[in-house]
Amino acid sequence: MNSFFEKIGELFSTPEYIDSLLHGFWLTIQISYFAILIGMILGAIIALIDTARPSKWLVIPKFICRVYTTIIRGTPMALQLFIMFFVIFAIKGFPSIIIAILAFGLNSAAYAAEVIRGGILSVDKGQTEAGLALGLSRTTIFFKIVAPQAIKNIIPALGNEVITVIKETAIVSMVGMYDLNMAAKDIGSGQNMASYIVPMFVAALFYLATIYLITFIVKRIEKSLRRSDLRAEE
Amino acid sequence: MENTETDLKIKNLKKQFGKNKVLNGIDFELKEGERVVILGPSGSGKSTFLRCINWMEEPTSGEIYFDGTLVTEKNIRKMRRNMGMVFQHFNLINNLTVMDNLILAPVKLKIMTREVAEKRAKELLRHIGLPNKAEAYPASLSGGQKQRIAIIRAMMLNPEVLLFDEPTSALDPEAIGDVLDLIRELADRGMTIMIVTHEMGFAREIATRIVFIDKGRIIEEGEPNTFFSHPKTDRVKEFLQKVL
Repeated sequence: MNSFFEKIGELFSTPEYIDSLLHGFWLTIQISYFAILIGMILGAIIALIDTARPSKWLVIPKFICRVYTTIIRGTPMALQLFIMFFVIFAIKGFPSIIIAILAFGLNSAAYAAEVIRGGILSVDKGQTEAGLALGLSRTTIFFKIVAPQAIKNIIPALGNEVITVIKETAIVSMVGMYDLNMAAKDIGSGQNMASYIVPMFVAALFYLATIYLITFIVKRIEKSLRRSDLRAEE
Repeated sequence: MENTETDLKIKNLKKQFGKNKVLNGIDFELKEGERVVILGPSGSGKSTFLRCINWMEEPTSGEIYFDGTLVTEKNIRKMRRNMGMVFQHFNLINNLTVMDNLILAPVKLKIMTREVAEKRAKELLRHIGLPNKAEAYPASLSGGQKQRIAIIRAMMLNPEVLLFDEPTSALDPEAIGDVLDLIRELADRGMTIMIVTHEMGFAREIATRIVFIDKGRIIEEGEPNTFFSHPKTDRVKEFLQKVL
């Protein structure tokens, strides 16, 4: 056990190692950030198409959305990453960070879409009917009534999705990208510390701290959205 | 304000949900100032009938004329401004305060300025004895308070007709009294009303006409005293025996 803490001391006192970890961490953050951004925007679009009232213009888009979410959610993320790298973007010199962002973004979109769809559908039908009976347009009803109530149901689950994406990006090391996970593996290799447990442990702390921060932010947002749920006005 | 003018004329209205035929051809007329109570066993289609009038449910076939104009997909939104609706489960908008619930439609539809709408909302709130609830959210209100606010919300646009879909079915006895008092007051002021209810005493007291629906058809209709004391059909006799 003594050597474990010694090794941690060694890791933190070796600038190269810290440099590698921060480098990897930065890549993890970049991929996660843009993937989540793409995931939420595309996910929202898919959810809106999916929950829209049936019309002849939407038959094909609705079908495409259904097929998309089924395929994405029905196949392993690692496989999707490989397909993006070695089939779709098998172009020499194409920046791998962009491929990774797209792979995770397109994957996250399918899950975000389900979360947002569920949130929209969970709003009581009577809320929409109240708006209709008052002569309001479907657009007004969506933005003033349904969306604000749906967001309250969506935020916690969407926070979960953000956390999942951040951790899942660790598999980019499988296609040779130098993220936080890869940095830990690299530092732990025989050429360096010859101990995997210490750098892995430190990398885990990085993940944990990031996710803790995100959980904290999500909780704050949830709290501020919960104003209208107050049972009594004291 | 001619008393003979027809507000609503319905011809051969049919509604089916999938294969389930709920309304099997309803012909109906409503004149200004009338108060029609719709009675019938559960599952008879009485709520569906009411909900078809303002297209909460789109009719499968048949025609609805409102103020002489055929109601269509295109003009229904405009028509709805003149047909207020009160729901069984109140349907106050949960993410808006009472005040915002009241002024949302008049302001959004540019019928009133915000100032005028707020002034009217405050008057109505004072009238129903809830002047201090303007900034409350629906979650903090009792059922009776919610329903009375839902009624004045429907009144904000000065509709020609008010449609009540079982307005007291989700309330406790004390709240029922408060809500019925408010409806009674609207009736006394000459409001044209259609109401689906299970409150027989109230129906008899308030109605100018009773319409009895069973299996998606109007079986019998008439003036309340005759309807309750001398029903013409066996079906109504049987129904009244059970509920009175």
